[in-house]
Amino acid sequence: MAQISISDSHNAAGGGRERGALASVAAWIAIAALCAAAAPARAAVQADAAPTGLKVTDELGRTIVVPQPVRRIVSLAPNLTETVYALDAGDLLVGDTNVDDFPAAAKTLPHVGAVLAPSLEQIVALHPDLVLATNDLNRRATVDALAGLGLAVYVTDPLSIDDVLASTARIARLIGAGDRGDAAVADMRARLNALAERLADVPPRRVLFVVWTEPLISIGKRTFLNDALNRAGAQSVVEIDDGWPQISFEYALKLQPEYLVFAGSLAEANAPAADELSKLPGWRDLNAVRDGKIVIVSDAIDRPGPRMVDAIEELAHLLHPDAFAPGAPAGGSRLVTPDNREEARTACAR
Amino acid sequence: MRPLTMRRVVWTCTLLAGVLFAVSVMALKLGAVPISVSDLVVSLGRLAIGRTDQLPLDYRLIVFDLRLPRIVLGALVGAALSVAGAGFQALLRNPLADPYVLGVSSGSALGAVLALQFLPQIALATPLGAFVGAILTITGVYFLGRREGHLDSTTLLLAGIISASFLSAIIMFLMTTLTSRDVRGMAFWLMGDLSTPLVPSLRWFFLVALLVGIGAIYTTSPDLNLLVTGEREAMHLGVDVTRVKLVVYVAASGLTALAVSASGAIGYVGLLVPHAMRFLFGSDYRLLIPASALGGAIAVVLADTLARTIIAPTELPVGAMTAIAGAPLFIFLLRRSMR
Amino acid sequence: MSTLGASATESREVRARSEETARLAVEQASYAYSPTRRQIPTFTLSATSFQARQREVVAILGPNASGKSTLLQLIAGSLAPLSGRVLLDGIEIGSLDARTRAQRIAVVQQHAPLVFPARAGEFVLQGRHPYGRALHLPNEEDVALAQNALAQVGAEHLADRRMDQLSGGEKQRIILARALAQQPLLLLLDEPTLHLDIGAQVELLERLRRLAEENRYTVIVVTHELALAAEFADQVVLLHRGKCLRVGTPAAVYQRELLEQVFEAPLDVEAGPAGRPRVSLRPRLADAARPDGAGRTRG
Repeated sequence: MAQISISDSHNAAGGGRERGALASVAAWIAIAALCAAAAPARAAVQADAAPTGLKVTDELGRTIVVPQPVRRIVSLAPNLTETVYALDAGDLLVGDTNVDDFPAAAKTLPHVGAVLAPSLEQIVALHPDLVLATNDLNRRATVDALAGLGLAVYVTDPLSIDDVLASTARIARLIGAGDRGDAAVADMRARLNALAERLADVPPRRVLFVVWTEPLISIGKRTFLNDALNRAGAQSVVEIDDGWPQISFEYALKLQPEYLVFAGSLAEANAPAADELSKLPGWRDLNAVRDGKIVIVSDAIDRPGPRMVDAIEELAHLLHPDAFAPGAPAGGSRLVTPDNREEARTACAR
Repeated sequence: MRPLTMRRVVWTCTLLAGVLFAVSVMALKLGAVPISVSDLVVSLGRLAIGRTDQLPLDYRLIVFDLRLPRIVLGALVGAALSVAGAGFQALLRNPLADPYVLGVSSGSALGAVLALQFLPQIALATPLGAFVGAILTITGVYFLGRREGHLDSTTLLLAGIISASFLSAIIMFLMTTLTSRDVRGMAFWLMGDLSTPLVPSLRWFFLVALLVGIGAIYTTSPDLNLLVTGEREAMHLGVDVTRVKLVVYVAASGLTALAVSASGAIGYVGLLVPHAMRFLFGSDYRLLIPASALGGAIAVVLADTLARTIIAPTELPVGAMTAIAGAPLFIFLLRRSMR
Repeated sequence: MSTLGASATESREVRARSEETARLAVEQASYAYSPTRRQIPTFTLSATSFQARQREVVAILGPNASGKSTLLQLIAGSLAPLSGRVLLDGIEIGSLDARTRAQRIAVVQQHAPLVFPARAGEFVLQGRHPYGRALHLPNEEDVALAQNALAQVGAEHLADRRMDQLSGGEKQRIILARALAQQPLLLLLDEPTLHLDIGAQVELLERLRRLAEENRYTVIVVTHELALAAEFADQVVLLHRGKCLRVGTPAAVYQRELLEQVFEAPLDVEAGPAGRPRVSLRPRLADAARPDGAGRTRG
């Protein structure tokens, strides 16, 4: 079969047709893309008029304008929900997160999703005048996105008990509950001062606050929790500044804290009783375990909100029973000894 | 013999574009806040004729400020990742290649972590940090992946894998020791998350860069068909192999850098969409590139819609959805292709 | 002389000229290669010369590491000669751009590592790549030429089959068809008979002879198969450790002492039919003298 000879005119004609087709496809893509990009640009919405309201700076240094009076609040963190209820302003709340559990009424509010992943559109659909968030739990990206949609977001950033008291007062003023806020803060301050007087001459107990058992995670010095411990007459033995440090058992053994402190929710999961821990390697070498000096405190101690002073007081009672008038500690705190571990387990399971 | 014609390319793309349109409309309709289709059509109509002020504030905020930008971003990211994946599969002559195999996502993640740690208050810092991290990784891997002056597929693959591991190790170290509470958000980034809208000042740059990248790879698509049969063979057929490999490397890595800076490391899209498109439409890159772009857009928009509605009001990161759907789809494709 | 880009008139001139002069002229071409920059380069091929016309089958013959593949790559234009030159129809191959080179020289690879599924027809159409522009989408002429190429290798019926479903022999025919679709002047093959049984080897070489004749190709085959080269080659280039020892017809090149020295094996060369030499293994003297109790005889 003979070879067919070719002409080079093939190149020009075919290439031209293809080039034309390519150009039209490119143009089609460009047009489609431009339409898509233009749509949000044209629909870009801020409030039509300049926002009116109270101009404040939140605890991250952001300047926000909060419409007055505040009638609808969405809270993005459990402690902020509790704070609003404690200020007697629970009827202003129109939405909270999935995990808000105190007081009971908070569970019945419309939910906007998880703390780290709330639904932006759900928040917007609730038409809040004010959104409360905390730098401790919420993502900065969420805050920025909500602010970009024109919502007023107030972000708290408490690093100490005093910060929490100041936050409470400021939030109260923001939502028109200034008097109640001041009163609540004054009450808490008074109780803390009384506690400080009681513990003035008492040397603080050296404690290891256990956030998690496997791996062993404790708390840093520059945290809210540490401040709470200090006020309860305790001193965290972990000499690390920030965050939630994971420490080794050798380090804990070298420090030999007098007490181990667990927060309530962990106890519900593990119910660490002295003799259970005493069977585990590493734990059993701690004096605190051998002596049964394990304390379970309600997890309100980690919630920068109204119940924290209760928790601090309870912890103080547990760690320094002699400094207080005789009487059983109130609330959900127990000193677990080999005698009452059963009681403790059932109590914590409440 | 049914050779590829321009007509087939255009028709296939039109079909896929239609599917993308339908999926987008459905995505606009669905969400934590339900919106009826008729309301949607009316709003879109009003938008088209410019009467945005007549729309109720709700719709404007939710549909046009939240959902529509999110859908557009998802579509663009899906297109970028799929085209990059198809490009790398040709460049490395390996069907398991995906956009992250050369370490771009790890370098990008490192940049994002550092930006989140040191500049959390600047919203622009994270995507820029991610992009810079990606570019540095691309450059580094390029120089590591060279042999006798030009890119060698095997060396490149090794260099990329090693870089990815090394950078991931650094990220793990940082995430354990860094204390900034903003680093907590990295988990979302690492899984791929579209809930953070792209900073408006970057949107145009993103779009243009994307089109340039996809266009650049498309111009090499006839050469890629030859390249996958062997480099020397492609050279003997007149392909400038060195130039083509460089163009594909830079463009595909650039597309990956763009996608990852905007939405984190969404997985499986870059690997599976090209294979799904090959399964449906054949391996010819002149059709595969545009089909992958559109197919990737469809995949991400679908996955993101599922992610934000399945356990509403909580929003899953879109990467979780692509991972859940990706594995079974891969097995299905594998078994069908073996028959 | 403009050599870049193939204009219509120029290629016609070139083809007309090829009737008179040698199609391929290798003039003192050599190549050296050093694994690292510091080492002194070793000559993989010393100055080699030969010429080939249209319709001619040339065998580049030699044992392993004799420089055969290097010579083929110099002819293909994928390597540039250190000294000397390689001319195709009077034009230096190195001066051609890749596209023109691909229109004139086709290299048949040994196998096609297919990473992604492809059909035979698509694969053959890739041979038209050097003639396309922009997206290189095939037109009717390309399709016709590809089908013609398939017919020439007797594989028209395989056009729609997937490459990974073909047998080794069928796949090789498709690969050859792709080279034919390039409509080259030169057809180069590197050890094409390596994995084939004797029947397939003969079939391939007969086909190459036929194609060379019908399509006026110059076919260059690199091989170490003495018998096949003797039977099918018009010209043999004998290489040994990078040196070209002899160029000529098989009868002229196949001298016993020379072959024994090159291949380091005991060989016998006889004259065969049609003036072509026949090579066989010489029986070892020791075996011939040994008495065989089992009754086997040695001839």
